[in-house]
Amino acid sequence: MRFAVDTGGTFTDLVVENDAGDIRMYKTETTPDDPVRGVLDALKLAAKDFGMEADSMLSRGQLFVHGTTRAINAIVTGSTAKTAFLTTKGHPDILVIREGGRTDMFNFKERYPDPFIPRSLTHEVSERMGFDGAVLEPLDERALRATLDELKRQKVEAIAVCLLWSIINPKHEDRIGELIEKHLPGVPYTLSHRINPSLREYRRASSAAMDASLKPLMGSYLGSLEKRLRTAGFKGRVLVVTTQGGAMDALAMADAPIHSINSGPAMAPLAGRFYANQDSKLRDAIVADTGGTTFDVSLVRDGRIPWTRETWIGPIYRGHMTGFPAVDVKSIGAGGGSIAWVDEGGLLHVGPKSAGAVPGPVAYGKGGTEPTVTDACVVLGWIDPDFFLGGAMKLDRDKAADAIMKRVGKPLGLDVHKAAASIMRVATENMVHAIEDITVNQGIDPRGAVLIGGGGAAGINAVAIVRRLGCPELLIPETGAALSAAGGLISDLRAEFSTTHYTSTAAFDHAGVNKALAALEAKCKAFIAGPGADSIEQIIEFTAEARYPSQIWEIETHLRRARFDTKEDVEELRQDFHKAHEQIFAIADHGSAVEVVGWRAMVRCRLRSSERLVVQPANGALPKVAASRRKVYFAEHGMVDAAVLRFEAMGHDALVAGPAIIESPFTTVVLDPGASAVRRPSGSLAITPN
Amino acid sequence: MAATPARKLKSGRELDGVQLAILNKRMEAICRKMANTLLRSGRSGVLNSARDFSCCLVTGDNRLLTVSESLPIHVLRGADMMAEAMCEFHPKLKRGDAFLHNSPYHGCSHPADHTILVPVIDDDGIHRFTMVAKAHQADCGNSIATTYHGGARDVYNEGALIFPAVKIQEDYKDIDDIIRMCKLRIRVPQQWWGDYLAMLGSARIGEREMLEFGKEVGWDTLGQFADQWFDYSEQLMINAVKAMPAGKAVANSKHDPFPGAENGIPVKVVLEVKPKEAMIEVDLRDNPDTFPCGLNLSQACTESSVLLGIFNSIPNAVPTNQGSFRRVKMYLREGCVVGIPKHPTSCSVATTNVADRLGNSVSRAIAQIGDGFGMASTGSIIPPSIGVISGTSKKTHGPYVNQIFLGWGGGAASPQADAWISIGHIGNAGGCFQDSVELNEMRFPMLVRGRHYMTDSGGSGRTRGGESMFVEFGPTEGNMEVGYVSDGGVTPPEGTRGGGSGRPATQFRRDRNGDLHPLDACAQALIREGETIVCYSCGGGGYGTPLERKPEEVSRDVREKWVSVAMAREIYGVVCDAAGVVDKVATEALRKGLATSGRIN
Repeated sequence: MRFAVDTGGTFTDLVVENDAGDIRMYKTETTPDDPVRGVLDALKLAAKDFGMEADSMLSRGQLFVHGTTRAINAIVTGSTAKTAFLTTKGHPDILVIREGGRTDMFNFKERYPDPFIPRSLTHEVSERMGFDGAVLEPLDERALRATLDELKRQKVEAIAVCLLWSIINPKHEDRIGELIEKHLPGVPYTLSHRINPSLREYRRASSAAMDASLKPLMGSYLGSLEKRLRTAGFKGRVLVVTTQGGAMDALAMADAPIHSINSGPAMAPLAGRFYANQDSKLRDAIVADTGGTTFDVSLVRDGRIPWTRETWIGPIYRGHMTGFPAVDVKSIGAGGGSIAWVDEGGLLHVGPKSAGAVPGPVAYGKGGTEPTVTDACVVLGWIDPDFFLGGAMKLDRDKAADAIMKRVGKPLGLDVHKAAASIMRVATENMVHAIEDITVNQGIDPRGAVLIGGGGAAGINAVAIVRRLGCPELLIPETGAALSAAGGLISDLRAEFSTTHYTSTAAFDHAGVNKALAALEAKCKAFIAGPGADSIEQIIEFTAEARYPSQIWEIETHLRRARFDTKEDVEELRQDFHKAHEQIFAIADHGSAVEVVGWRAMVRCRLRSSERLVVQPANGALPKVAASRRKVYFAEHGMVDAAVLRFEAMGHDALVAGPAIIESPFTTVVLDPGASAVRRPSGSLAITPN
Repeated sequence: MAATPARKLKSGRELDGVQLAILNKRMEAICRKMANTLLRSGRSGVLNSARDFSCCLVTGDNRLLTVSESLPIHVLRGADMMAEAMCEFHPKLKRGDAFLHNSPYHGCSHPADHTILVPVIDDDGIHRFTMVAKAHQADCGNSIATTYHGGARDVYNEGALIFPAVKIQEDYKDIDDIIRMCKLRIRVPQQWWGDYLAMLGSARIGEREMLEFGKEVGWDTLGQFADQWFDYSEQLMINAVKAMPAGKAVANSKHDPFPGAENGIPVKVVLEVKPKEAMIEVDLRDNPDTFPCGLNLSQACTESSVLLGIFNSIPNAVPTNQGSFRRVKMYLREGCVVGIPKHPTSCSVATTNVADRLGNSVSRAIAQIGDGFGMASTGSIIPPSIGVISGTSKKTHGPYVNQIFLGWGGGAASPQADAWISIGHIGNAGGCFQDSVELNEMRFPMLVRGRHYMTDSGGSGRTRGGESMFVEFGPTEGNMEVGYVSDGGVTPPEGTRGGGSGRPATQFRRDRNGDLHPLDACAQALIREGETIVCYSCGGGGYGTPLERKPEEVSRDVREKWVSVAMAREIYGVVCDAAGVVDKVATEALRKGLATSGRIN
């Protein structure tokens, strides 16, 4: 058996695959004080459903794949280790200066963000490398030892090291690592060239700082997770999903915990791609994951999941950049909890403020007074107040209606249904913009893409979203409500290695590039022989970080070869870059040479052989309820009589025409008038919007 | 400009608060798409690293409607004036036209800001909107290798090619005559060409989206939206001004002596807040005539600076468009250094130096009227650390010219918060990125020896001004010229309401023996291989008396080395050690003494 658990902010999702290849899914509440307890709770729930004792179920498990928000939460709440920062003399403010940039141009009410590591814990190291790796100033080891003594006095719990040009010549950083081990044994440290060997000192320093600061905490969390799983009877392998959309052994993750930042959302596009491949002919997909408070969008472009180097923890320019390449996920504060309000000029807004889980939407009856998206859905009849989370929570429709009338209807002169429908329209528009931002940046035209709706709240307005974007197809996977966990189940063991080696197609350094690529390939092969030893299939892929001369930002170009022997090989790279550039930016400069700054190798080891991911209803849970009908309101049609169906009970290939509501204990899908849906053998709901 | 009364709404149907919200979001999304395209595809560092660009949308009757998040000095005013010039010079606009505009005499900020204007023409041939994409160029053909020619006696001496809304595309095809002229007169023509493609691509994407949008919702609806959106914005501005204290204030400042303005350039702002009428009036007529140098403001920069000072100073967010601008009345004079320049006056440096003095003075005038409003002065620029470097090297396969962005400190303190230290200057509002040392060293033959903030360099105050930045760099291969126009050495950025001023800017050449030689404030400095240029940018001004700063905040300042133990004691009246541990009793006594002696400002 295999288990995949995604610990989110509100819910812990578990997806179990038994040896017959059947999938079952479970949701329990996250236990923030001790997240491992929530994981074990979910496993107990599953064991009961399988009619087994928990330890006997766990003892049959081969694989446990975990996605966790532990690292990101520690950074957001400032509860990481007391970490020191060592950097090149003359450049102590790398983490203060950052890279500039600001939003909200006329708002001066907020102060400048504090550096990730305070200046009082920052120490300069006498040394300097040149851009070509030449030692311009040797490392002053005596002064360094005095600094290390000072760190001891400061009682630091971790150390981050980032020297200029360590990516070209790591000698000084390596030596500092040796001296830390000698003089401060047991204090975890991170060297920037090892964790993130890429150009631009702030990004590398930020990666090193975050990574080091997470080591004590994640080391003990992952250690405790593994230990408690073992105690509970699990004997298989424990993997943690990474920001890059792969998985790695929990103990390896403890050594490089920055890889676990954003580990949940990075799984969604993996699952999205899986479902898109099964049921859509389109090569591009938009994967939208809608939870209670956040709306995450990721992409599949021509079968690949695009990456970004700019992942921010917290708001852009005001939070901290991980500096690390990661699956590109755009998150906005939007979801069922987003609050609707009317401003002093009479304009309707939805969000960014959220009612969160406490007090939650007005309909929860937990003291919320400000109307939310969920309240609007209840008033419109889209969500059944008696069947929310499968009936686990009764919602108060009248309270929701009162709040909407008071805060939105009266100020705008609208009746309660029109007001609720307006809230949905604005909420949809906010989500559409988040999608447009990421698609335009990654060069994807939504009109040629399938939208995959995941997360508990996806189905509410997914039809409205695809209509606005012009997407021809919409898929709601059956595991949609636990999309990230499902992604964890199918994820590969994955590692990535990169190096900086500058060259230009105008004067290509064949020997240097081939040497760099050979070194990367050797690292991939070592990974295959090590952690990947038991895998079913292994794939190594190379990419170049390339740009036109005088451009500042590189884009990723996939290589078709592992070595460059001839002129033609180089020309092929140049042409491939033009294509990549044109795809993203709609223009290419065909006459121009191409510069390559960095090289990357990714190795993937497949752990799962099955090509299917079909949900079996939990035991006895399959409802034999007949389809019912209820009154549902749509902006353009008013109150209509809509069919209400159970998602799990739907037969395959029977066409359902909107207006209809398709419900499961995990989610509600609203099928607007004019849209139609069919359930596919994969279990997914395929919706044609028009 | 501002005196136009609120337009009467068109008769018939009005859009409700929901439709307004949706249509506004769609308009904003179009501008954002333009900006994303421009940022990502631009070639020069000024554009894609420093984000020195902007995108906006102007109505068919030339009113600024929607702006992408852009540098404020670029887009508060000017886009509308440029669109007006386009309409005047080309009465018959056709779909497929595009215009290149950089004339400061016709609405552009300064000649380095090349702008592409694309009229959006509906199927009936009616000009509905104009899409505007503007980007600061790495070079604009000046007589010296900088886009900020402070010493330019006039536009001829300045040397920039001036394009007053010149048609550069017809039927979606380039007019090659213009392209050839640019390629022959602009240094690093490939960079210009790349940026031109990026700007054009951005404006065209905006046009395409707008055409689809108009078809989808109807052009009349969009027209109706514009009218109502202006009214909505005006209403928010009325509310904001009504919440301000009434009063009239005069704020003075002075740009440092520069070639052509040997006694400096005084700037005087007379500002009155009239909450009853919900108007702010600004009179700039009592200022000198234009100078024979490049520091004169274009009309766009004069008006943008005033608006910038005002929008920075009101506590609530108000959309910046023609509607909210109606509540500001300006009195300007033709031929005035902060007014309306006449050709051939040079406006080469119009977006920064004197513009900064003007915007800052507006903010300080508002601060003088009431505590809790206005701001101190933001640091002045352009120090060598963000100058234009040029030379020739093997590394760059020949000549190179590029503006670098290594460091500029000095944000202004606001009533609510300490400064945003990496603000750049007031007109930039922190939008620019700062360069990576490694990236610069990889691209150019240069070594950056040091780069960090300076302790005790921000203006003291209840809220603190931003720190000055130290940067030292030099060429590693051949000689390097560094062009810069560094204000704030003589009159440093002012504090307000008892706040101290920021550290003055200074710059030196360090010779091979390590000796420092002062450099002029406005220069094209020659730095030889083995030498370096050493610069300190301005600090920003503080807000309110430093004796009112909370001791725990001063403690943090000291612990984090922003403020020294000595300054904490002498200026802030806080007695603490280097770790920031405060002696409460001694602090109370010291603060009492300092307050009664009135020694602080």
